[in-house]
Amino acid sequence: MKQVLTVDDSASIRQMVSFTLTKAGYEVTEAVDGKDGLEKAGKRRVDLIITDLNMPNMDGIQMIAAIRKLPGYAFTPILMLTTESQAEKKDAGRKAGATGWIVKPFNADQLTAVVQKLVK
Amino acid sequence: MTVGTGSEAIQKIEKVARQIHALLGLAESAITAVTEGFGELARENGQILNLVASIVGRVEEDSVRSILSKVAGLAEAAKGFARERVQATSGILQIVTAESKLLDRLSELTRAQRSIARETQTLSVLTNIEVARLGQLGAGFQYLAHELDDFSQTVTRSIKELSAHTDERKSAIDETRRMLTAGLPRIREEFARIETELSSELVAVESSHALLERAPANFRSAVEEIAGQIDGVVSAIQVYDITRQQLEHVQHGLELVAGRMNVAEDAEELALQGGPIFSSGLVIQSYQLRSIEETIGHWMTRIGTCLEGILRISSSDLVAICPLVLEQEKNLSVELAHIESLERECQKDNLEVQGAISGLSNLMQLVGEHVEKSRYVRDRLQLLTFNSIIEANHLGSQADAILEISQSIKRVSLSWSELTDRSAQAMVEILELVEKAKSEMNAFSSEENGALEVAAAETARGLGNLREAAVFVSEKASQAAAGTLRLQSSIAKAGAARDRLAESFEVIRSALMEIEEAKRQIENEYPLAKQPGDRHQIEMLFSDYYTTEMEREVLRAALSGGPLPTAQHSLEGNSVELF
Repeated sequence: MKQVLTVDDSASIRQMVSFTLTKAGYEVTEAVDGKDGLEKAGKRRVDLIITDLNMPNMDGIQMIAAIRKLPGYAFTPILMLTTESQAEKKDAGRKAGATGWIVKPFNADQLTAVVQKLVK
Repeated sequence: MTVGTGSEAIQKIEKVARQIHALLGLAESAITAVTEGFGELARENGQILNLVASIVGRVEEDSVRSILSKVAGLAEAAKGFARERVQATSGILQIVTAESKLLDRLSELTRAQRSIARETQTLSVLTNIEVARLGQLGAGFQYLAHELDDFSQTVTRSIKELSAHTDERKSAIDETRRMLTAGLPRIREEFARIETELSSELVAVESSHALLERAPANFRSAVEEIAGQIDGVVSAIQVYDITRQQLEHVQHGLELVAGRMNVAEDAEELALQGGPIFSSGLVIQSYQLRSIEETIGHWMTRIGTCLEGILRISSSDLVAICPLVLEQEKNLSVELAHIESLERECQKDNLEVQGAISGLSNLMQLVGEHVEKSRYVRDRLQLLTFNSIIEANHLGSQADAILEISQSIKRVSLSWSELTDRSAQAMVEILELVEKAKSEMNAFSSEENGALEVAAAETARGLGNLREAAVFVSEKASQAAAGTLRLQSSIAKAGAARDRLAESFEVIRSALMEIEEAKRQIENEYPLAKQPGDRHQIEMLFSDYYTTEMEREVLRAALSGGPLPTAQHSLEGNSVELF
């Protein structure tokens, strides 16, 4: 079963992502902020990461930059799932190594479809 | 600043900021509880959907759907069988009646032939007497006497044999005719009744079958609607992340206003430098809180609709349909058994009729042999007549008596010839009857009978499938009904989470009043606060930390005094932008 890591300081968003992707047949691990996400990605290899941007301790962009330096994560798809829609934020995400951007709230079917497309 | 109404306003603003901070903690756990509650409902609902899907799948199988056409086919075959049976029975009756008449004619013929045989015997005796009287002269007629005697005995034996057979045949035919005459109205009546019953069964089966298809589909549609509503609630709750950030930023905005007011050296400074900013800042936070209130109201409506929908789900139609279908299957099985029993009865009758009709061939053979013998006798009689007349003429007046006998033989020969022709005609008629009987017997016993057998076997198989499907649906419907009850009892948890969430957010109402009061106090104390401040400066100050487009829109509406922007309640959500 493919592994997905969802990183968000909002428990409800983590639950939504888990609810959506578990139904689609993925095993979902949750992390409460960027620091927790980085640790969990380091401990267990995951196939895709979905992360929020604004989080305490370590934000999503910092986490992506750090994860990209971990062995085996150079090409792992990482999606930003955030309330932010400003172009400069997206640009920062892209530069840090994000694969895609989703403005909250997300469309469950489209999230599932894109995860299926990215995780083969 | 610690003097005047300004300090009261600061206290109010700080109080509201603390309340919102507390709300953030409460709301997070309430939202988690709602998500868990609805996750549980989604799982229960998903199980019901799986059960209903299996029911719908089973009901939509061809083996179940085809029962209607099978019952209709059976009704049609039974109707056809009855029609053909009645027609064939009438045909057989006609044959039997015609044969009975023919047998009467044959009896009449044999009586006439018997009379001629007796006359021939008499002529033989007379010839013998005349031969004795003529002595040496009559020796040539000895042969005539012998031939006449021989013909008489041969014909008598043949007639006796034929008569015995025709009598026997007459008796068998009468029995067959009685059986068919008595059976025909009964067959007509039985099959008319079957046709009526099958027609009404067909209507009932059509109706229950429609229900069998409709009830699970309706139930599935209701459960799918609930699944959509649960997904809707779950999706709507996603917006909480935006709401949470809005709340955090309202708290931050209020702290900013209170902080700025606190650091003002005196009332004059407060009025001159910060008045418009404080007033506008409070208006912005009020707008944000009203926007949050509207979002919460939307959640409550959505959750309420979903919970009410769950309570309305009823599996009673689904559960009730199976006993109805089983009852109809039972009725149809009884009807089918009755048809099969009648069919067997008809097959038994067929054997008897076939036995009786096959006797016709024996009759034809016997009559044929008899006609052959009669023709032979006729030819010999003609020859004897011719020879005896020549011989008698040759002897002259001494053989007048013989001549008289010869004339009698000639007359007998003519009568015999006529009877032989009539026998031959009877033979032709028997032959026609045999052919007709063959054709009627085919119709009587083969094709329609076969069609009914096939239709009955097909219907029996269809009923078996229907029974299995009804049992399957019954079992799954009971599980779905139990699942529905579990789902309905699970709403208590989700409902409690909803109430907890609603209670948490009740603080917003009082917070809005406090902010309004604080704003009024500031504006009363410092009329300059009512003046519009530097819009750009205010926007920069309060939107610098905003993270959502929603907050920015609300801020712009607050600064322009426009209506509150509608929160994003759409379940469509945002799509993914891949880099």
